[in-house]
Amino acid sequence: MLQQAWKTELQDLIRGISGGFLFGIPLMYTMEVWWIGSYTKPPLMLSVLAVTFLVLFLLNQTDGFRKNNSQSFIQIVTDSVEALALGIISAAAILILLQEVTTETPLDETLGKIIFEAVPFSIGVALARTLISGGGEDSEEEQPQLTGSERKKQRYHATLADIGATAIGALFIAFNIAPTDEIPILASATSAPWLIAVILSSLLISYGIVFVADFTTQQKRLQQEGMFQQPIVETVMSYVISLALAAFMLWFFHRLSLTDPWPMWLRHTILLGLPATVGGAAGRIAI
Amino acid sequence: MNKSKSFGSRAKNAIPAEWITFAIALLIVLSMIGLVLYTGLTQDKQPPVLEVVRSETKETKGQFYVPFKVTNTGGETAESVQVIGELRLNGEIEESGEQQIDFLSGGESQEGAFIFTRNPQNGEIVLRVASYKLP
Repeated sequence: MLQQAWKTELQDLIRGISGGFLFGIPLMYTMEVWWIGSYTKPPLMLSVLAVTFLVLFLLNQTDGFRKNNSQSFIQIVTDSVEALALGIISAAAILILLQEVTTETPLDETLGKIIFEAVPFSIGVALARTLISGGGEDSEEEQPQLTGSERKKQRYHATLADIGATAIGALFIAFNIAPTDEIPILASATSAPWLIAVILSSLLISYGIVFVADFTTQQKRLQQEGMFQQPIVETVMSYVISLALAAFMLWFFHRLSLTDPWPMWLRHTILLGLPATVGGAAGRIAI
Repeated sequence: MNKSKSFGSRAKNAIPAEWITFAIALLIVLSMIGLVLYTGLTQDKQPPVLEVVRSETKETKGQFYVPFKVTNTGGETAESVQVIGELRLNGEIEESGEQQIDFLSGGESQEGAFIFTRNPQNGEIVLRVASYKLP
């Protein structure tokens, strides 16, 4: 009983964080937001927090990140506080991951960056149910007895659909980021251990969005017949697709050329791979 | 009436999980507000004070690298900090370089290097912060 409560709670929180990533990642790769955070004065930071809380309160009236939403006043207030906290934690984690906040960053700059980046993240948390609701038309769950060749065909189709959805989602989010200056700036500050951390986080976030946060199409996904059937296989495969697309987009926008050294390709691709994977995950739950 | 009832029945089922996460969330938000207040109260209203320090010159492939570190020891953030490095031989400026640093908030420091083609050992290197603007 207690365990069940915690499981639901954890799922709700992960759904919230996933929504936050979908909404917040594009602004995380916007250096102007880091700068605004760098020179904002503390009184303004407090008002930003207050205004964000108000927005979250309004959003939580109709939306939210919990599966079972009671519309009581206290529930809305507590959900708003939680959305803000989830936003702050996710924003801080990604800022640290991208080396925008390090041990050398002064406290006021750190706070400013985290607070400004937390705004889109927490709004995403409050919109999580809508953002991560899947197609919703999962009623045609017939699963008839298929002959061998039909089954093979269906499996092929499901795999193709997953690949397509990942690619569309990845393009949708990463296309906005690929031509900008943020990727080279982030790439210049990063190092091998941090890149590994970025890879692991990309996989974790993608897994969280598709297999924990999504509640409408989850059952359907687990029954699906695609080659991607295994959650971990699907996560890794879609990460590979996202990376390939990230590399292609960087080349397409002349951010990388074929004569550039391979470590540069690697760094840039991994850094753009994070938003691409988040987009790819969103794409897969939309089908 | 209705509100408190629905809330009560919810809480009965899920007191631990929901309220523990809420407590943690509240703690995070409050500590964020606390930290902002702390920086607001302790922050210097002093204008930026910029200092540039150079370290050991290194010679690589016939060029002389003079690393520097610029620190803002004042309170407020300085924007577009312009660092100028000059190499003087016999009192005359032979080579000069310029570097701009986007943001330098109170207590922050940034590093970089000037590159000269002539040996600074024979002359004098002058590093200075020429200008900045307030954001």
